Amino acid sequence: MRPLSSGNLWRIIGIFAVLSTLLLVAGFGFAVKDLLYPKGGAFTGKSNVPALPAEGKLSEGKDIVITAIGDSLTKGTGDASGEGYVKQLVALLKQKYPDTSVRLNNNLAVNGLKADWLEQLLESDKGYSFALRQANVIVFTIGGNDLFQIASGTSPGKAADGLNLDKLKADLPQALNRLAKVVKRLHAINPHAQVVYVGMYNPFYNIPEYRGGSLQIQQWNERAYALLHQYSNMTMVPTFDLFENAIGRYLSSDHFHPNHDGYAQIAARIVQSLE
Amino acid sequence: MKALDRLLPLIQNETLKIWKKKRFFVILLVLLILIPIFTYAQHRIDETNKKNFKDWRNQLVQQISEYQNTLASDRIPEEWKLSRRIAVQQLQYYLDHDVNPNSPDGVTFTRTFLSNAVTLFFPLLVLALASDLVSGESAAGTIKMLLTRPVRRWKILFSKLVALSLYVSLTVVMTAVLCYLISGAVFGYKGWEMPVFTGFVINGSSIDSGFAHAIPQGLYLLMEAGLIWVSAMTVALLALMVSVLVRSTAASIVTMMAAVISGTILSNMASSWHSAKFIFSVNLQLTDYLAGSPPPITGMTLGFSLVTLACWGIASLIVSFSVFTKQDILN
Amino acid sequence: MQHARQEAVLSAHQDVVLSVRDIKKQIGGKPIIKDVTFEVRAGEIFGFLGPNGAGKTTTIRMLVDLIKPSSGEIRICGEDIARHPEAALRHVGCIVENPEAYSYLTGWENLEHFARMQRGIDNARIREVAAIVGLDARIHDKVKTYSLGMRQRLGIAQALLGRPKLLILDEPTNGLDPKGIKELREFVRMLADQGMSLFISSHLLSEIQLMCDRVAIISRGEVLAVGTVDELIHGADNYVVWQFEQPEAGRRLLASESDVELVAEHEHRIDESLLGMREAIITAMSPDRIPSLVEKAVRAGIGIVSVHSIAPTLEQLFLRMTEGESIG
Repeated sequence: MRPLSSGNLWRIIGIFAVLSTLLLVAGFGFAVKDLLYPKGGAFTGKSNVPALPAEGKLSEGKDIVITAIGDSLTKGTGDASGEGYVKQLVALLKQKYPDTSVRLNNNLAVNGLKADWLEQLLESDKGYSFALRQANVIVFTIGGNDLFQIASGTSPGKAADGLNLDKLKADLPQALNRLAKVVKRLHAINPHAQVVYVGMYNPFYNIPEYRGGSLQIQQWNERAYALLHQYSNMTMVPTFDLFENAIGRYLSSDHFHPNHDGYAQIAARIVQSLE
Repeated sequence: MKALDRLLPLIQNETLKIWKKKRFFVILLVLLILIPIFTYAQHRIDETNKKNFKDWRNQLVQQISEYQNTLASDRIPEEWKLSRRIAVQQLQYYLDHDVNPNSPDGVTFTRTFLSNAVTLFFPLLVLALASDLVSGESAAGTIKMLLTRPVRRWKILFSKLVALSLYVSLTVVMTAVLCYLISGAVFGYKGWEMPVFTGFVINGSSIDSGFAHAIPQGLYLLMEAGLIWVSAMTVALLALMVSVLVRSTAASIVTMMAAVISGTILSNMASSWHSAKFIFSVNLQLTDYLAGSPPPITGMTLGFSLVTLACWGIASLIVSFSVFTKQDILN
Repeated sequence: MQHARQEAVLSAHQDVVLSVRDIKKQIGGKPIIKDVTFEVRAGEIFGFLGPNGAGKTTTIRMLVDLIKPSSGEIRICGEDIARHPEAALRHVGCIVENPEAYSYLTGWENLEHFARMQRGIDNARIREVAAIVGLDARIHDKVKTYSLGMRQRLGIAQALLGRPKLLILDEPTNGLDPKGIKELREFVRMLADQGMSLFISSHLLSEIQLMCDRVAIISRGEVLAVGTVDELIHGADNYVVWQFEQPEAGRRLLASESDVELVAEHEHRIDESLLGMREAIITAMSPDRIPSLVEKAVRAGIGIVSVHSIAPTLEQLFLRMTEGESIG
């Protein structure tokens, strides 16, 4: 076969190129029109609400789906391996229920999250609701930032410098009030899942001036338990005792968050509480 | 009438020369090697996500949460937080409207590939076409044959410009077509009708979704390609000018690459140097306006970028034509 | 044949194809071309001679609009190249320096390419010029496979495409072997016989001398002389080489003549092969004076072994002219 004559080659390239150019210029025109003269259009997407998981004991179900929300403790801050208590919990559950699939659905914890912000997320964020509704185990931590930030006026890592125990005491009711709202929302979103709240501990137990803070923490834990108690699917695991005499062993270098071993202890307690 | 004499045959000449130089084959070859690599990379990412997340919504909500963690950190500079904050709001918008922004299909892959290619990859392909357009003729000495024919010099350069534009169009369209065909084999050939949101208006650090609206992804792709064509054409005009001014093709490629890359670096630095927004290569990422991503420098808008690019393009045309029609051919 | 052509040239005397008037060119403040004026008439072969660096190539580039003159006027077939380059260049075919072609195209595609740049050149004409230069057998091969000679022929074919009235060849003998030069000479003559004017630049004068009707000699950006080869040579003195039986007496005799100039051994520009003679005395003088001087020598009792009159070649003339320039 003879190769294309240059005239035919030119015709083919030319036609394709001109068509391409016209197409692209049209695309550019659309883009400019759309961007420079925008018209808001209501788009009503389908709303996707996943079915709630079945109620019942974990050992009887086919799979365990975990969603974690909360603050830096749930995020795993301070654990050099990055696992935190959530991933260790998943590993422990896999050991405990070898015949069941255990899956971490989402860990939506955000460093520095406070109870009021969490409440807002639960109220308006469809993603949060979606991830929570899929779960049959929900673990969460909240309140640490409310308490220690209120008390010191700074971020919790630096809290030890200016912690004001009187202020801590005074602000406790307000923070608990927020926690109550969070718990209520959580129940509204997913009444079936087993919900575990990880209680608070006093990271400054070994500093004599702040040792008294433990009493406030303990008060928080007590009141928090009372809140959760209203719902039969919710419970709380205590952690204050873990850290009182083992601060050097279980806290990370920032003197606020647990280290890997500290998180392992928390995970172990959660596993014990689930069934 | 006389002004148009010989114009079409001249364009034919230049088009055939670029073809016979096998420049377009090189471009196709590069695409045929790169697109499968990126398709595979995307495939691996999808696999990982599928393993970790039950549903795209879980993935999205996780991504938002990670961005929120960045926002919560004290160590992240404020400029970065701004873009994250906007990204969060955008992802949230998708989530709230239950639309998957990263649906795994051929059209979505093509859309993502094109918008990632606009600042470096397309300019590079354009340079492969444009850099030796004039300097190549100077180096080979054929410029003497070209300019001693009874044709006005501006017509010679104009025909080169038209041929270059035609190949720029072909390059953009072929990239999209190959991307769709190759990635579609892995991700499926769907996604034309999928809604994509555009029209986000960025006001300082927040995003105004009042004008946001959904358009079919096919139309979005077309709009994106059109914007890419405009930024690729600006690069082409500049490369043509450099090719006229610089005798050596290597020097011409290096000059243009330096300009394009420095612009990309400047954009990524989210620079507080505001005058940098007048540099052409900072304005190449036109597709960002469509996607509603924050511009590299605050205050930049589509209109601003188009005017800036047009100024650069027109200036380089003026320089190209006045130098080419007047210069003495000494070598 | 030669005679007939000469007559044709004479009859077309008024028909000036190329007229160059007072062109000057400065590049970077330096005057490269100081003053060049000449005319090329229809059907003649015009030699443009000068040493390397004399400004030949710059002048040629100005003829074909590659370089704009700083001042002066160039007209091709009456059209001013500065004002109407399209009209002027229509009548010109040229090869400036090396014959360049797109090496990634075939010979045919190259010719097609240049054919498209001008009106009225069809495929038949492309075939015709390919045949004229004898390239038809390999016209569909890529130019990168061509030898230098074939590229040269392709260059000429390209230049002939538009049926030019004036063909400009810049150093066409460069890189050609003696056989190639002879072929080129015949080819040029054939084109001139068809009525085309040829403008040929060279620094190899002996080659040009054989084919040019008229020449211009350029040195250091100035035209030193324009005329037919005969005119130029005739205006110059001959060398006369004497051999006497008594060389000293002969030298004294010649030196006493006012219109005879003795030329020192190292100054002459005569082909060494002609000077195998022992103790030859070289003079520059008119050959008409030879009989009277011979008579004088005989009367003075000086025996004459031989007398040779050597007409200068164009090359010698040229060297003498440009030499004088360099001293002055």
